Amino acid sequence: MSENRRQVLEMLAAGKITADEADRLIAALEKESQVSPPPDRSESSPKGKPKYLRVVVEPEKDNQGGSKGPKVNIRVPVQLIRAGVKLGSLIPAHARDHVNDAFHRHGMQFDLSQIKPENLEELIEHLNDLTIDVDDKDIKVRVFSE
Amino acid sequence: MIPLFALVSMQSEQSGGFRLWLPLFLVWLLLLPLAVLLLPVIFIICMVRQVNPLRALGLGWQVFAGLTGTHIEFEECNHSFLIRII
Repeated sequence: MSENRRQVLEMLAAGKITADEADRLIAALEKESQVSPPPDRSESSPKGKPKYLRVVVEPEKDNQGGSKGPKVNIRVPVQLIRAGVKLGSLIPAHARDHVNDAFHRHGMQFDLSQIKPENLEELIEHLNDLTIDVDDKDIKVRVFSE
Repeated sequence: MIPLFALVSMQSEQSGGFRLWLPLFLVWLLLLPLAVLLLPVIFIICMVRQVNPLRALGLGWQVFAGLTGTHIEFEECNHSFLIRII
């Protein structure tokens, strides 16, 4: 959590500002962080670890100015992914087999037991290099870390 | 850091909508006695499932704390829905 956001929350908790004012301040802080240019991927300086995984779905506009589909904006903290993967190691073996069978039935050759906490940090580090762009005629999907 | 506030917003052009700030830290305070009561039950379940209860609790706490910063926004036609955990 950034220092600015913490200050806003502290002011809200202390009753110095109203919930609406806190909302506007936090929205402004988020907008500011989105407006700031993304780091240059080609530069050789070491990149910080990603904090969030973002999934953005943007529909194209139709002829009447409306959108052709739902607009989705999801931000998942990497810390949550990290904890979730670790939590996966607690899944009992027979339950893991059920999940793997379900994956296979849906055509995904995926084995939950292959995700090990020791490989997790490497995986998270590589999230920095991950950007998925899907451009369809009706919809744009972007998956990236920030 | 554990989630302190949650913002739940639902907007609709026809029926207006609402924007709700939930002070989660108060909810956690209220749930704390319940958590203490549930602790032995969690330990027993972990023992039955042959899982280290301390590890399970630690990981549960990490998932709980990891929720901070989650942002889910959905917008379609005249409706929008937002959950933000701070």
